[in-house]
Amino acid sequence: MVMKCKLDVDFLDGKLHNPLPQVMRRPGKQKCLRIVLITLFLLMMACVQVQAAGTATGELHKIELVAEKLGGGYFAYRMKQHLVSGMDGSNEQNITSRYPDFATIPGPTIVINEGDEVDLTLIHQFNPDAPGEDQVSVHVHGVHYDILSDGTLKYINMVKDESAVPALVYEYKWHAAAGTAGTWPYHDHNMINHNGAEDKGLYGALIVNKKSGSVDINLQGQRKAAPLSSIQKDYVLYMLDDTFAGTEIDSITGQQTYLGANPAFTAQQGTNVRFHVIALGTNLHTFKLAGYGWIDPGTNAIIGEKAMGPLEKHVFTVRAGISSVYKDTAFSSNLLGMKGNFNVHPQ
Amino acid sequence: MKPNNFKISLALAFLVALLFASSLALAASHTISMTAETLPNGQFAYKMGNHTSSDGATNNYPAGATIPGPALFVKVGDTVSISLTNNTSVKVGLNVPGLSTDSSEASPGQSKTFTFTASKQGTYPYFDDGSQLLGLFGAIIVDKTDGSVQSLVGEAGTITAVKRSDLKKEFVMFMVGSTFWGTEIRNGTQTPLWTNPTLGAIKDDAVRFHVLSVGPGHTFHLHAHRWPDETDFVGMNVDPNIIDVKLMAAGSASHSFTVKAGTGVGAGHWQYHCHLVSHMESGMAGKFHVVDKNSGETGNSIAGASPSGAIFGNASSEPGLVTFEVSDEPGSWFRSARADTIFSITKSTKSLEIIPPGSSVHFIMSDTNGVHTITSLLWPSGADDPIHGDHHTMPFSQTKAYRGGGIVKLDVPGLYVFTCKIHPYMFAGVIVDDPNTEGLDLGESIDLVTGVNGLPTSSDLATRLVRTFFVATSQNNWLDYTSSAPWHANYASVPVRITGGAVANLKDVLEARYGQNVTLPALFNPTTPGVGEVWINTQFEKTVGKTKPGTITVLDAKNWTIKRKIALPSINMNNPHNMWSNKDQSIVYQTQWFDTKLTMINRENGALLHNIQVGDTPSHVMTLPSTDDITVAINGENGVVRIPAGTTKPDVMMPTQGPGQTPANPHGHWITPDGKIVTPNINTSDVGIYDSNDGSIIARQKTGGVFPSAPHPIAIGVGVDKIYATNLLDHSINVISFDGTLLKTIALLADYDPISPTGPDTLKDRDGDGLVTAGVLPIQTPVDPTGRVVVTANTGGTITIIDTKLDKVVAMLPCDPGCHGVNFGAKQGGGYYAYVTSKFSNQLIVVDVDLKNPANSSIVGRISLVAGNGVPSDDTVSSLAGMGGQGIYAIPNIYNGWVQNLPDSWKAGLTSAQLNPVQ
Repeated sequence: MVMKCKLDVDFLDGKLHNPLPQVMRRPGKQKCLRIVLITLFLLMMACVQVQAAGTATGELHKIELVAEKLGGGYFAYRMKQHLVSGMDGSNEQNITSRYPDFATIPGPTIVINEGDEVDLTLIHQFNPDAPGEDQVSVHVHGVHYDILSDGTLKYINMVKDESAVPALVYEYKWHAAAGTAGTWPYHDHNMINHNGAEDKGLYGALIVNKKSGSVDINLQGQRKAAPLSSIQKDYVLYMLDDTFAGTEIDSITGQQTYLGANPAFTAQQGTNVRFHVIALGTNLHTFKLAGYGWIDPGTNAIIGEKAMGPLEKHVFTVRAGISSVYKDTAFSSNLLGMKGNFNVHPQ
Repeated sequence: MKPNNFKISLALAFLVALLFASSLALAASHTISMTAETLPNGQFAYKMGNHTSSDGATNNYPAGATIPGPALFVKVGDTVSISLTNNTSVKVGLNVPGLSTDSSEASPGQSKTFTFTASKQGTYPYFDDGSQLLGLFGAIIVDKTDGSVQSLVGEAGTITAVKRSDLKKEFVMFMVGSTFWGTEIRNGTQTPLWTNPTLGAIKDDAVRFHVLSVGPGHTFHLHAHRWPDETDFVGMNVDPNIIDVKLMAAGSASHSFTVKAGTGVGAGHWQYHCHLVSHMESGMAGKFHVVDKNSGETGNSIAGASPSGAIFGNASSEPGLVTFEVSDEPGSWFRSARADTIFSITKSTKSLEIIPPGSSVHFIMSDTNGVHTITSLLWPSGADDPIHGDHHTMPFSQTKAYRGGGIVKLDVPGLYVFTCKIHPYMFAGVIVDDPNTEGLDLGESIDLVTGVNGLPTSSDLATRLVRTFFVATSQNNWLDYTSSAPWHANYASVPVRITGGAVANLKDVLEARYGQNVTLPALFNPTTPGVGEVWINTQFEKTVGKTKPGTITVLDAKNWTIKRKIALPSINMNNPHNMWSNKDQSIVYQTQWFDTKLTMINRENGALLHNIQVGDTPSHVMTLPSTDDITVAINGENGVVRIPAGTTKPDVMMPTQGPGQTPANPHGHWITPDGKIVTPNINTSDVGIYDSNDGSIIARQKTGGVFPSAPHPIAIGVGVDKIYATNLLDHSINVISFDGTLLKTIALLADYDPISPTGPDTLKDRDGDGLVTAGVLPIQTPVDPTGRVVVTANTGGTITIIDTKLDKVVAMLPCDPGCHGVNFGAKQGGGYYAYVTSKFSNQLIVVDVDLKNPANSSIVGRISLVAGNGVPSDDTVSSLAGMGGQGIYAIPNIYNGWVQNLPDSWKAGLTSAQLNPVQ
């Protein structure tokens, strides 16, 4: 757990751009001192934990994520930098070019393996003169992290406001420990109030792949295992109250393509592609991909639709056969045209 | 068969027989006696009387009635017999979907026995089908006979089998409305934890959660923990699906799982919450407090506010909870669960509650078919202060209308009023009273949602709002024009503490400021007949044949007599709010504003034609003049639904905002003659202009301008080349061009002093126009067909007339409290009448609009909306006769763009000027 004091000259001089009470209540120097102490302590703790768990074989992801304010009342995350290395920092690779260089909704999909760790630095880049938008966080589901990486306000965690603010970044540390493989949402929890602004665009997905795993696939009505490496495309599909929002990922290169509202996904016929559907908002939904049946995770059942509520995830792999349409069948979603194409191209 | 196989078969058969025999031997029979009770705040709860089991072991249950009710732990194969004695005033049953098919109920004072077999492993909600949302629910946990329970995800990610005997604690957590109701089970002892408790656990303890729900759906999320979805993954030989969020589908649902507290994540306050955004915003969260073993912390749970805790009239050292039922019932839209007790104090409203600081107010949408928000309208200055109050929860509101409830703790003494953004005359009042001061604390000053801060409670605006609250929420305070008695408003006669610590009697203050026993003006008919019919939504009128309120009153404009009452008991028509018709004038379209339906009615005989689902809380309906397609504003959602002419099914919802943006919640839309749809977007404080051909957004113009925030645009009028939008809470009208440019803002309270105590100068000519006018809380605001005059109904009890050549108020006419709807109809021989309705009275006001000199417009008729004997009707009026006037629609439709499409038979009754209103 490392919290950096951003070297902002104005901030260190005490001349704040932004005379918000939030920042004034937390003088920088004091904060930095405390942070250093906490940092040392937590670094030690983290080392102990990693050794004990014996997962030092995973990779370390150093991620810088920027939270931005867009027009139209939207907010969004942007990938600033993603470095991957061994746990000791060896063999560092910069994979930032996999991501769009602009803020997207949903935000960048962070793809890691079981056993990996993530150091995620969040940078606040809203209008510093807008009160109420002076905090932003990342709260992640599924993986391990300690209470200081919960991404919540002190009001909830009883320790501190775990937010990036206009003058300070915040660093979260995640451990995709054994048993946390799966697809998990991440989202803001702190902007405006303790509920955050997840409904305004501040959300994305974390995919924790099993290290050498397989996925379940429906082949001629039977559950069969297909190697993880056989997946050609990953589709991250957020299901909101009035629209889908999605990203397509080339699973081989890791390249991410932002597709926006009600995205059209493409696949080569006969290849395995994986859908990561996550609901978000207030409405309940029934997700449907017409003409396809897939394995309901955790069962042998082949299903063609799935009832889902906010922040549930539903992950399934299909072998691309026919072009189809995915949709939410809820009454108003249907009238709003909440659907998109799944375009399958012949080899 | 080979000998070997035979041997194996024999061995298997023996094994099966043994298993069968052992399960028979293990099956226990449970004899349980329970009661249904009423708690001090008016909610209901089950209470354990006695539980004996043939296998000996039963829990220690709480002595009193609890929400959730007693958790019943049994094993697969057990028989359960529950004798239920009903000590409440309503019928109570005990439904257990999946285990029992007995849906019978015990009448008050009676007992019923429910017997069933726990045939299948699982967690089952038991509940009363009717009063479940008020507290009558509990859990039956059917475990396997081998003592195994749901596996957990262990330290190193391994799926670890768990025996029930390994569990250090179990929590039953019901998700109901927007509140968690919890019980802890530890070493066989059950402890009620009430609302949104802090659940305590020691790190690495195995803890089982039983999450259940009744009513609208939820998703359960627990921070930093994960568990296998509850499927038979072992039996199916598949990897479990590891989750940390679980859907609780609407109706009733359950999900049980086991976690190792804090494993891999450590100690901390980990939040649990519903993950529906609106439910998060309405308070549906608590903490799972995991402590390290040697930390010195106990890991004990902390109970939340309870229906038996400290509230007015019920002293207790524990934090209390008052409950408002959200209802479609007129006046009682937020009805205290102890309505009779409250009424005996107020003699009027059932929507006022009193609590000490630190207790909570709880809302449950238990008696409504619509979606709502629960939104702070006003609160004591300082209640949202980060130090003394709670800026995380006050002001209370939600971004999006929803089904559920709400819960909020109130610490700062003073007056709080909650409303619904969608139905802004729904009010709940809460006085947080410091018991150490004299009088009920209304507070020094209040803040309003519009950004007005520090308004003294002694001010005219403050007491006017209090009076509005007492009139709107009290059926017995509504104006009855059929009675010869003067209008008497009932107020609570209680001492209140206001600005400067002054203590006064509330009733005396309101009577001194606003009078009492007012003689109502006499009814009279206009001397010149109107053309055709006037259809009025008497939205609050109640009839015997249905539980929901509302009728249509059809007035014959030829002789001003009531032609028909239409209640539609066959569909339980619910709060009919606004109407329009097809171009032939043969079908009337009717919205049900607290429901999901648009209703089609045969104009000639009042018969039901179709009842169509269109979306949550449809408010207004209009046709496109070019195609006759129907457009319905879906007030509880985010668009305008279209039903193609001649069909009975919506084909599209045109969104009123971009994808993923805050829902606009359009209310009273209008359509320009060239087919642009103009919506007042109550939730986003703007007017939207949309292309009806492709649904695209042409413009969105911010509205308001008098107060800093929350103008609440609610209705649209369209003239020849201008749009008029009323802002309910900004008390203003924006004038906007067809391309969305703001032309002018007309402040309706320019002559009003809101700050000072009521006096002779409260209302005087402050804007120097030589007139004294006021339009408090303006609503419907149509422009006459020629485009000359705007007539606005103001809730505060006035009608204001705007001359569109000047775009200023040129006249003010008296109206009733809750003045609401206006529409124009043809006057015989030429010209137009503006017909005006009021929610809290039973008269229709007829205004003769002077198109040459709008300032000379005058009231020319007052007509009772109460039907006399012999008026044809499909139901019988039971109460609130003629009350609730809202939507109004004159047939034939004489607006420019529509009048040209009338059949010749209807055209025959109109003058040539009326047939071509815009020259």
